[in-house]
Amino acid sequence: MSPEPANSPPVVALPELKWHERLNVFTVTLLAFLLAVLASLPALRGSGRQLDYWANIRRFLGYFFPPDFSVWQETLRALGETFQIAVMATLFATLLSFPLAALGARTIAPRWLVLPARLLMNGARTIPSLVWALIGVAIVGANPLAGVIGLTFYSLGYLGKFFSDAFESVDAEVARGLRAIGADRVQAFQHGLWPHAKPLVISHVLWMLEYNLRAASIIGYVGAGGLGMQLASYYEYYAWEKVATVLIFILALVTLLDLLGEWVRGRITKKLGGGRLGGR
Amino acid sequence: MVAATGKDSPTCHVAIRGLGLRRGDHWLFRGLDLVVPRGRFIAVVGPSGVGKSSFLSCLAGLVTPTEGDIEYCCLQRGLHTPANFQGHTGVVFQHNLLVPNSTVLNNVLCGRLGRYPWWRTLLGFPRADREAAFRIINDLGLAPLTHRWVCETSGGEQQRAAFARALFQEPELYLADEPVSNLDVYLTGRVLGILRQESLAHGRTVFCVLHNPELVERFADLVLSFDPADPAGWKVREVHR
Repeated sequence: MSPEPANSPPVVALPELKWHERLNVFTVTLLAFLLAVLASLPALRGSGRQLDYWANIRRFLGYFFPPDFSVWQETLRALGETFQIAVMATLFATLLSFPLAALGARTIAPRWLVLPARLLMNGARTIPSLVWALIGVAIVGANPLAGVIGLTFYSLGYLGKFFSDAFESVDAEVARGLRAIGADRVQAFQHGLWPHAKPLVISHVLWMLEYNLRAASIIGYVGAGGLGMQLASYYEYYAWEKVATVLIFILALVTLLDLLGEWVRGRITKKLGGGRLGGR
Repeated sequence: MVAATGKDSPTCHVAIRGLGLRRGDHWLFRGLDLVVPRGRFIAVVGPSGVGKSSFLSCLAGLVTPTEGDIEYCCLQRGLHTPANFQGHTGVVFQHNLLVPNSTVLNNVLCGRLGRYPWWRTLLGFPRADREAAFRIINDLGLAPLTHRWVCETSGGEQQRAAFARALFQEPELYLADEPVSNLDVYLTGRVLGILRQESLAHGRTVFCVLHNPELVERFADLVLSFDPADPAGWKVREVHR
């Protein structure tokens, strides 16, 4: 065996971690979730009646086939209106979410502003989209604008939270570095934080658009325009084969949006991935 | 107090008095007194973990020292603390701190954010700035990468982009934390040569963390060395050529 070099540090045993030092955010969250699962088991009990679940499923799904495509024209028109409601609501929610999200991000806003901003966003999320749509109908009457208003406020709660989390989760070191070379708060955000958060923000907006498209198909129930009105009348007359046609149209549009979102996300992560692995 | 000039001299640029920084239960450095005249190149040396980067962070106003203070003497504008001298300090960070999903040009342009109010840079930089930034990018051999995202460039290219950002800023003071750690011999000489020229020709003071003793002797005027065994055992010496 070769002699030890003169300046080598003394040999010590591998330090062991204590049980509480092994706890981290992941293990604690997992533990909390397992406890929540155990506490939620009663939800699986059902009604307690002797029902033939499979026969029920087969019978009900059977009503949807074959789909009745004779309603394709009115479905397409209502789908167009639903799309317009979803797009406008997503646009307004995105614009309104930015300042709110910035106020709710601990890395950007002072502490005393973070809590009220988060409370506002939580409040907006707590109210279901159907109730928001009802509020919209109460304000502007039964028309697509009510849907836009309703979904804007509902989305505001979600996008605000998503954007806030995005601003907090991205590396703020670059923004701090820019402040150190003279940039003001807005410049540090625009040039240091925003480029990091941009891929996440785009991804969230696309998700919200997709969500709003589905939500806009429902809010017509309360008179807020779009496919919901049509769906409500079909449900009322048990015209399930027509409902199937509407669902196929919604599915097609949502899938199209999902593919677009995947493509955008893929392009962004592919470009960023190279850099994270240490350049070319 | 170690000084190559008096604190009240018009050539004084940086005055450090009794500076100390504690991390947890141990001091990184203590009682650091240093007066640096304008236009000097100070190499900051010492083994890893001794507090060189933390010292630079104190100078940049990013870390508040546990004791003591730092004062920048500006000929036109009087005395400044590090926090309100930030627009005049060009920093080459150890990990570059570039925006990965932004172009090399945009990253370099960020060097002049401090010159403009936010609304002037909201939609971009003036054409003259873009051209001046490109000249520096070209000088550092990065012209083909001008419009590439930083994450698509190599470690050495990113380090040069970070250096270009500091140069483009035209600051009164450079704080460079291992600015040549990813560069080959030629580029190392080029980058340190430019920093040396900045100090000689434009009177811009340079604090530069270096590990290579040959480079220290070749480019520095003063050497500030930290002692890992003794927080108050820092030393300053002049380099004689």
